[in-house]
Amino acid sequence: MKTIAEMGLPGRLIAVEGLDGSGKSTQIYLLRRWLEEKSLKVYFTEWNSSELVKSATSRGKKLHLLTPTTFCLIHATDFADRYERHLLPLLKAGYIVLCDRYIFTAFARDVARGCNLEWVRQIYSFAGLPDITFFFKTDLETALSRILDARPQIKYYEAGMDLGISPDPIESFRYFQGRILKAYEEMAQEFKFEIMDASLPAHVQQTKIRRIVANRIKLQKFRSTGPRPIFTQTTPQLKWQAPIETHQVE
Amino acid sequence: MHRFYGHGIPGVDPKLLTGKLIVIEGADGSGRSTQISRLTTWLEAAGYPTVRVGLRQSALVSPELEKARQGNILSPRTMCLFYATDFADQLEKAIIPALKAGFVVLADRYIYTLIARELVRGLEEEWLENIFGIAIVPDAVFYLDVPPEELLQRTLAKYTALDYWESGMDLGLSRDIYTSFLKYQALMRKAFQRLQKKYGFIMIDGTLSIPKISQELKKRISQLLLKPPLPMAH
Repeated sequence: MKTIAEMGLPGRLIAVEGLDGSGKSTQIYLLRRWLEEKSLKVYFTEWNSSELVKSATSRGKKLHLLTPTTFCLIHATDFADRYERHLLPLLKAGYIVLCDRYIFTAFARDVARGCNLEWVRQIYSFAGLPDITFFFKTDLETALSRILDARPQIKYYEAGMDLGISPDPIESFRYFQGRILKAYEEMAQEFKFEIMDASLPAHVQQTKIRRIVANRIKLQKFRSTGPRPIFTQTTPQLKWQAPIETHQVE
Repeated sequence: MHRFYGHGIPGVDPKLLTGKLIVIEGADGSGRSTQISRLTTWLEAAGYPTVRVGLRQSALVSPELEKARQGNILSPRTMCLFYATDFADQLEKAIIPALKAGFVVLADRYIYTLIARELVRGLEEEWLENIFGIAIVPDAVFYLDVPPEELLQRTLAKYTALDYWESGMDLGLSRDIYTSFLKYQALMRKAFQRLQKKYGFIMIDGTLSIPKISQELKKRISQLLLKPPLPMAH
């Protein structure tokens, strides 16, 4: 697999990866705002957001229809749709594409669910690698408490309840997220993750991210001369949820 | 004894699948459903519990898959992964449980149709084989071979119109659906002939009469069902 730069495309791809609650969405939001304020051509996309595929995924999750195999395949379908419809054309057109989660999320989660590593990797082999991947490293306990504090309910698949590890959602969640974290750590070197210490204050992390991006990507080349694309005309808002007290499984 | 083509399904031991998996492949209009109905009646009369499975029937994705077909908005790769999801759901929720329970499973199409369609659309064979390595190797695969001209006659006689996808209109072979159908079905037939060598399908002349094909299938399936079970490893 090659990076977008190695593929000879004019665009650049930046991905953030890490456990839920590692602060990666906040960081990519701040990066996006910075790049947009510089009037650069930027596109932002989230995991599991292809319109058509998402409705099937949601039903599958709600009705607990998904197995490790179908969980993997339906997310790959979603990714392929976004990749071929948006990402690839935008990268060819010279955009900086920001991805909140990329193929490494699939590699980590699907393998933690018991899918064969080679099988999963080959499914995603059509995708270009990011030019920069930021991995937000937290210790497990910090990530867990951040997620548990922010949500009234832990989702069935998020907790890996489908694996039957434990009938207690919190215990299952703890174990499953631990496996995902391990899978991420095993990939870090191979895919040249930029490892971020997620325990640092947000603005300190962001300063480091901006410095790395500015060093590695010639930002002035991405200046937008034409009209601002529709999807950046409205100023995005950072999602934030107040902490909630009790937990149940959905 | 059963096995997977490739990596298989995590947690499933194919050796425990004691039923028989019989696949009928062929284009639309090749007579698959007619033959499967006849086989079902025959097998049930002989006392074999039989279940029929097919493509695009999963509870998981079939509504969205239908929508995608109507809207023609997904790329071949996305469509292929969507179909693979649908297939995996059927495999895990219908085929494997039935085989575990000792049923005869009659599959109205299997991974070969999905592979052939995407080969014709330019996807890499190796990539396709990896994905469909989740599939159980069937006990027998029959391919009902019908020349494109004959398929065209049958389709028009039945529906008085040609289907967009069965004509391969997304490939841009011709703007004329009639010409496109013939070209596309010829490509599909060629792809199947190639897959036949690889996967060892039993070719059946689909232009023979319905009872003749039925007789041929029954003869072959009888042999399969009466075959003594393979000796267990010590």
